[in-house]
Amino acid sequence: MNPISQLGMERPDEAPTAAYRNGASWLLPGMLVLVSLLWLSSLITFLVTPLAAMPIYFAGRYLVLDATSLLFVLVVNTVYLVISVYMLSRERTSHELITDLRVRAVWSLLFMLVVNLGILCNHLILQWTLIEVTTACAVVMMVCGKFGASRAVAWRYMLYSSMTLAITFLGFMCLVQSSALREMTMNFQIDQINRALTTDRDPWQRLGLALILFGLGGKLGLAPLYSWLPQTYEAAPTSTSALLASVQFNLCVVAMFRALQVFQDIEPGFVSQELLFMGYLSLVVAAIQIMAARNYKRLIAYACISSSGVIAIGLSVGQAAAYGVVLYVVSNAFVKSLLFITAGRMRSVYGTNDVGPLSGVIRVLPFAGLLFTGGIFALLGFPPFASFLAEMLILSGIVQAGNLLAFTLLCVMLTIIFVATGRTIFPMLWGTPPKARAPFKESLISILPKLGFVGVLTMLGTYTPEAVTRLLSAVAHSIGGS
Amino acid sequence: MTLALIICLLATLIPVFFGHESTAPFWLGVQALSLGWITLTQHPLSWHVGLAGVEVLLVRALLVPHLMRRVIVRHAASHIGLLPSNLFTWGIAVSMIIFAFKFGDGARADERALTLGVVASTVMIALLILATNQQRTSQLVALLFMENALALFESLMPEPWPLPVHLAISTVYLLTVSVGSWLVGDHAVFGTQRIDVTGETL
Repeated sequence: MNPISQLGMERPDEAPTAAYRNGASWLLPGMLVLVSLLWLSSLITFLVTPLAAMPIYFAGRYLVLDATSLLFVLVVNTVYLVISVYMLSRERTSHELITDLRVRAVWSLLFMLVVNLGILCNHLILQWTLIEVTTACAVVMMVCGKFGASRAVAWRYMLYSSMTLAITFLGFMCLVQSSALREMTMNFQIDQINRALTTDRDPWQRLGLALILFGLGGKLGLAPLYSWLPQTYEAAPTSTSALLASVQFNLCVVAMFRALQVFQDIEPGFVSQELLFMGYLSLVVAAIQIMAARNYKRLIAYACISSSGVIAIGLSVGQAAAYGVVLYVVSNAFVKSLLFITAGRMRSVYGTNDVGPLSGVIRVLPFAGLLFTGGIFALLGFPPFASFLAEMLILSGIVQAGNLLAFTLLCVMLTIIFVATGRTIFPMLWGTPPKARAPFKESLISILPKLGFVGVLTMLGTYTPEAVTRLLSAVAHSIGGS
Repeated sequence: MTLALIICLLATLIPVFFGHESTAPFWLGVQALSLGWITLTQHPLSWHVGLAGVEVLLVRALLVPHLMRRVIVRHAASHIGLLPSNLFTWGIAVSMIIFAFKFGDGARADERALTLGVVASTVMIALLILATNQQRTSQLVALLFMENALALFESLMPEPWPLPVHLAISTVYLLTVSVGSWLVGDHAVFGTQRIDVTGETL
């Protein structure tokens, strides 16, 4: 049998094997304790640090705790906590994966450490290097172990990542050149970089900004540099796909937000046009590819490209749409993790990523099927999930900005994506199974964290606690929100 | 400084037009030596500048070419060129270099213009290799060319990067080589088997 097709096939009633008992069985539970502590510390920081006291600089001003870093540290650590629980549950049920999972767990811990530092970073170049380090960690997580992704896919991912980051770095260098020609010294600390920028139409500065946005856009999966994303998300192990889509993606969003925080008052029109172009191109690409997709993991990957497009369009509008964008980014982190983790569950039972054999999945995997349905509805922007509210806010922001063409195009693209996704996914969920299968027993440990995601998404879409609203508003304000 | 820049440029162009993949580690080393020279002479000598220069010489000029040599030696197609040997790619490469130096003219100062030209032409050539060569080892060499070009850009800064930034950039360079070699090679990175490393272009 092909290794991919037997990837972690579940044997639920099997007793722990010798490999499990004799190996480093403490590793994943230990990691879970560490991750819980990390999550708890970010939650306590959120609860005890008033927004008025921010920004707080530390480590020689290389790190900063402000609304943006606080929000994203909280989000990525929450996502990582759930991914860790997923890895632990897989270790307990899929004994072929034990070694792979343990190696991957160690690398994911390093990955998370770097991501946390990257989010807190107050220096653009340092943040850039930390993104590149997370790429290296992700490559190892993708390939390591018996059932890892192929080296060709990992190589393509690394190549594209290095390329996009090199383009971003060239952008920084153009800013240096721009400031040098005006006899200014460029300091890349985010709170000081403004001093060396000019509001005049400086070609070097514009070129720099264009390259920075283009490079970071490539890391976010925005067209035209998106082609690494579907293949990578599909081929990578589930936990790695979820980490890439929800954690590394958010680190790159933070980098994009930092660029906007710096440039929003200096080059507002220029930023807006480039983001709008990349956003629409991504939506068109995603819509076409989703129509052709017959593989649920790849479909989620294309949906990630469309989400990036919506984020880019929302950022290009700014002002009224900014709060919607921040809410959309946060809700997307949870939606993507939920979908990838549930997709991993389905793959472990069916041994395939194709939609066809999974027809009627909700009868075999009632909980996973229901959660996947919830995730798909959240992804498509249905109420009562946060993505619905976020999309409405973005659309209303576009209307308020008077860009009716953008509004129409966005609505058309979202409708096409909605129909195409539903056409592929709904028969998979509720169709007639090709052969009768008994319902699969799912452990509480694998269901609870995902239910938590659904709860958070519903809460953000219906009632958002005051403290969270204030934090989201502060981030929205920092990127030009009104 | 001008001589170092010219050496840096030649170290990019010679292996691309006239060398084989197997000679690339040597030229990467030469490129890094000129980078080290520039780092040590560009700014007044201090412990910071000294440390940065030594780091460039040790990591980029010694360690990385050594690692690359061990990977490339076992590569089944190490005799092929970095750039396909045909008039079309050569024509594009030459045009790109001319364009890169035109781009550098915007600096309005001789040394800065030369530096910008060298950086831009190295980046362009690296992109051309990535677009035309399917061999993953060649693509890795192209990535390292690009990273060296980015490091050269630092010489345009009035002051060197702060030490943490410098260390982070070097770590990224080392990680690119280590992870890239691992992907290009076998699980045992420096194993003995000959391997097919043909992939896709960008």
